[in-house]
Amino acid sequence: MSARLRHHGVAGAVFTALVLIFLLVPLIIVALFSLHSSPSLTFPFKGFSTRWYSEVFGSEDFRESLFNSLKLALATAAFTLVFGTAAAYGVTRSGSRMSGVGVAIFMLPITLPLLFVGIALLIALRRVGIELSLLTILIGHTLIAFPFFFMIARVALERLDPMLEEAAADLGASPWKAFRKVTLPQVFPILLGAAALAFMVSLDEFVVTFFVSGNETTLPLFIFSRLRTTLNPSINVVSTLLMATTFVLFAFAFVMAMWGERKRARRAGNLMDVTE
Amino acid sequence: MSSTPAPVQPPSVDPMYPGAPPDLPPAEARSTRGPKNRRNLLAAAPAAAYLVAFLVIPVVVLLAYSVLTAGFFTVTGPLTFDNYKDALQSNLTWELGRNSLIVGGATALISVAIAIPVAYWLRYHAGRWQMPIMFLIALSMFASYLVRIYAWRTILGTHGVLNTVLMDLGIISHPSSLFIFNQTAIVIAMVHISVPYVMLVMFAAFRPIEPRYLEAARDLGGGSLQRWRRVILPLIAGPAISSFIFIFVLASADFVTPQFLGGPGDAMLGLNISQEFTASGNWAAGAALSGIMLVAYGLCFLIAAVGLRLTGLNKIRWTT
Repeated sequence: MSARLRHHGVAGAVFTALVLIFLLVPLIIVALFSLHSSPSLTFPFKGFSTRWYSEVFGSEDFRESLFNSLKLALATAAFTLVFGTAAAYGVTRSGSRMSGVGVAIFMLPITLPLLFVGIALLIALRRVGIELSLLTILIGHTLIAFPFFFMIARVALERLDPMLEEAAADLGASPWKAFRKVTLPQVFPILLGAAALAFMVSLDEFVVTFFVSGNETTLPLFIFSRLRTTLNPSINVVSTLLMATTFVLFAFAFVMAMWGERKRARRAGNLMDVTE
Repeated sequence: MSSTPAPVQPPSVDPMYPGAPPDLPPAEARSTRGPKNRRNLLAAAPAAAYLVAFLVIPVVVLLAYSVLTAGFFTVTGPLTFDNYKDALQSNLTWELGRNSLIVGGATALISVAIAIPVAYWLRYHAGRWQMPIMFLIALSMFASYLVRIYAWRTILGTHGVLNTVLMDLGIISHPSSLFIFNQTAIVIAMVHISVPYVMLVMFAAFRPIEPRYLEAARDLGGGSLQRWRRVILPLIAGPAISSFIFIFVLASADFVTPQFLGGPGDAMLGLNISQEFTASGNWAAGAALSGIMLVAYGLCFLIAAVGLRLTGLNKIRWTT
């Protein structure tokens, strides 16, 4: 490598480090001040304490938001797992030109700014007379989480060796049996990881929730209401809990994707042995 | 006497089954219930129905409301274009529109400008740091939107982290209120939210450009400027323009960041729309503003698509 290129490398490393600082330090500061012993949100840091955690967990509003958020996230993950897998299977295994239309519709929720998704859903629900409740929030969350799940599931299913499903069909398996016994076991870790992402999207969702929540509350709505009244480390506590959950789920999704990939590679290797 | 040898037919290779003996019929003829079957599309029907019911039809309803007469938290007949006329004649619309344009444009431009060098470095120089850094970038992408806005509020505020740090360093003597409640603060938070997406897209754009292609360009006498202009830029222009549009749309429609980081004059169109649908209850006016924004976004996508096609940038692909 020439001296010139190495020079680029150093400049690039410094720039990337600055960008990572820009991305991560604000989040670290939020987490740090969740443990502050005083109500102040700035330096000097006066010492560590869990008083804001006690305050938050003692709040009835917080506990309600937490349970609502967890229920919504679990239901969103379950729904997207079932409908998203079916949709990705349909699109990748039909060979029909209509599947392109399907993909366009399935990606629509993240092409459109969430504001429009929220208000459109709100007026449509009101039009048919559906009361705003946890159910309407769930409808919104499933809408938003769906494209993230679908993107991953589609790539996972597309990369599978079609020979295996074909062999199953040739040996007399019904399409459902071939899917359950041959296709699903190969991609299940990746799908589970993608469902974890759907869980994350639901847990963090604010914009659509804001419009269709009625009198219900979720963790982001709890943060929003506190942001408008008192700025103190209790907001940091809820934020930190959200970030920590997201971190764990993201690591889970990452490990699952790696595992799925290794599984695929190993199977491909075995097949080569058989055919050669 | 010379006999021309019969041309050797290359053995036909079944792309679905590369290891198959050449005399086997192709996969399509062999299997009737194989992986590709039109009936399988039915599996996508429930999800498609869901999205049509809860997104496509609602957006159509929203657009229909924009041409109806306003009521309080409702709309009534008759059909009218007054909502559009009122919105387009109001100075407020243009002022908010200008703010949306500035914030969206600045956010998208800065995000793409930051993402390209980072993606370049990650692709060609990061070595074993590539995966851990990608992991951190993707991780920060999933931090909640509200949490990020709150983070910048505590950093940039008059009694925020930035002010205390600058005072401790002796750079300023009094807390400054210059950092918050302006468009710069909004753009900083929006870039923080947007830039991870663009970095992942740009990294994917650099991925097929193998280092040896750049070496070849150098060996053929291309300077660093020429390598960028003639090899790299044509290949990454498509993804860069797409991410610019994507981020522009996301950022310019934002309605939460201006509430917490903007000043009184920094409201954006999205904020007005959200208020029409919540506090003020003028659904027809909000729907007309939404219609205007959706048309503007549609034009952005169209211009970008036509531009990429005219310059031929959408067709450039590495063939491997």
